Amino acid sequence: MHNTERPKSTQRNDMFAKPRLLGLSPVALLGWAILAIVPLFVKNTYVIYLMTFSLLLGSQAMAFDFSVGFINIVNFGFAGFVGLGAYTSGLLATKLGISPWISMWAGALAGGLLGLLIGALTLRLRGLYAAVMAWFATLTLMAVTTAWVSLTRGNYGLSVVSLFKSVDIQPYYYTLLPISFGIYVLLHGITRSHIGLAFRAIGQNLGAAQASGVDPARYKIINFMVSCACAGLLGAFHAHWVGTITPSLMNSPHTIEVLALAYIGGRGSIWGGLVAALMIIPTFENLRSLLEMRLIIYGALLILVMIFYPSGLAGIFRQIGHLVTRLRKGTTEKE
Amino acid sequence: MSLSGLGDMLSVGILNGGLYALMAAGLALILGVMSVANFAHGEFYLLGAYFGFSFTASLGLNPILGIIMAAVCAFVAGSLVERVLFYPLRKRSQEDWILNTFLLTVGLSMVIQNGAQLIGGMKYRGIPQYWKGVVRVGGTSMSVDRAVAFLISITAIVALWLFLDRTRLGRAFRAVAQDEAGAALLGVNLHQIENLAFGLSTALAGLAGASLLSITKAYPSMGATPLNMSWYVIILAGLGNIRGSIVSGFIVGLLQSVSYQFLGSGWPQALNLGLISLLLLLRPTGLFGTAVKD
Repeated sequence: MHNTERPKSTQRNDMFAKPRLLGLSPVALLGWAILAIVPLFVKNTYVIYLMTFSLLLGSQAMAFDFSVGFINIVNFGFAGFVGLGAYTSGLLATKLGISPWISMWAGALAGGLLGLLIGALTLRLRGLYAAVMAWFATLTLMAVTTAWVSLTRGNYGLSVVSLFKSVDIQPYYYTLLPISFGIYVLLHGITRSHIGLAFRAIGQNLGAAQASGVDPARYKIINFMVSCACAGLLGAFHAHWVGTITPSLMNSPHTIEVLALAYIGGRGSIWGGLVAALMIIPTFENLRSLLEMRLIIYGALLILVMIFYPSGLAGIFRQIGHLVTRLRKGTTEKE
Repeated sequence: MSLSGLGDMLSVGILNGGLYALMAAGLALILGVMSVANFAHGEFYLLGAYFGFSFTASLGLNPILGIIMAAVCAFVAGSLVERVLFYPLRKRSQEDWILNTFLLTVGLSMVIQNGAQLIGGMKYRGIPQYWKGVVRVGGTSMSVDRAVAFLISITAIVALWLFLDRTRLGRAFRAVAQDEAGAALLGVNLHQIENLAFGLSTALAGLAGASLLSITKAYPSMGATPLNMSWYVIILAGLGNIRGSIVSGFIVGLLQSVSYQFLGSGWPQALNLGLISLLLLLRPTGLFGTAVKD
């Protein structure tokens, strides 16, 4: 086995370590099961809409965390990859009449390819270069999408074929759920494999990783590409769900929202961003007065997390987990 | 193109170049001295503009005095931010410093930008002009405001250059930028230098924002373009190379005005991206050199 010595954070659930389906812990499986059955009982359209939206942003946060949490690369142009996926899929489906179920994968491919290009260009250099170049690429995509009115209709927005004929929200939810679950299983699986070990080694100590024969750039590029492909796929889903896409989809605040969710959730946890999204987004939506201050709150939360609690929500859950383990051990010792 | 069209294009390029050089020099300064990649730099430009508006339009101060006061306020804001945000983070952990401070500035930018929107609303706050009149240089003419703004940025750039080159404190700045531990060993007070550097950098951004108030009105999202352009400039120059950034600022100003003339809106961005990609491919150290690996 490659991963005889697992990194610290994957050992945390060892108390649940025995049965594993798709490499997931029972807690994670339970969480996904809850996400799967809630809409069967809650028929409220608005609630399911919120869940879809949270799941969409949470999945983006997972993809974002895959880069920042493991190879220390901030994809500061994340929204651009989402937008690229949305426009690629949207244009293919609308102009060429390809089924959106197929064109969505083209969106993922486009995101991955751009990720590959930017990664190959910058990931041999300091991490800042990747962040800045991804940002530049996104600004460019946004400017060109806005200016190329004959193709994209610019700021008027491009009307896109929907995935389903009816406006019912449930089918969309049950389309997104497997996508999100797939992304989670994929990202989680990679981080637990020997590739993930290399990612961590690179993130923690570049010199030592190189000395043990890991080619950092290659692994970083793979990581970045996977993350960007996920962004593209999610963007494509967004396009065929909402039905209209505008260049503002690629605006920096969207990147920052995803970034903040990933950090609030806990960097390096993958699932933290999803939990954060499911908690925070419905809260904002229900407190309309807060909505106006949404970006300020994201900014302030980001600052607070960075300074005072870098491990985020995942850190809190982990501490609770440790506490439970200790209590259990305590009781068994007494017995 | 007519000769005066050419003249206009060049003068707009050089005037914008002055702005970019001023912004980028501040950005490069703290990247070099503190290793902080500031993504809230545009928001200090914004603060400068809002302060400038308050001092000149609301309080009716003399324009020059108002602009200087705005820069001073931006300095105070910057050194406060350094004391309140970066200092605690530095004490807590220096691991992943560049990454963490970068995200901290992203958060800060969100707070300032949306705070301005919340308090002041989505309203343009500008003044018609600081000074009346038009200046003619060669075949082209420009407003006195533009010329004065340009003079202010040139003065500030020259002052910064002399400060870094000739004064004891400036040498300390450069020493910290070169080798932090070595500078500390020689008795440089790192904490003080970093605080000053951050304040100085934000003061330069604030100066730019205030002096251009009659041309670019104060607005919550006004910082985006200067931020974008000054990052472009410092990548072109080589990250953290202050003097290189000043020269590159003018190069980018001219490049932008020429490409805008021929390509229209949207596409100059693509040209910029292409050029910078080519640069990273062929010469990642930038035009003037920097360390590119961790």
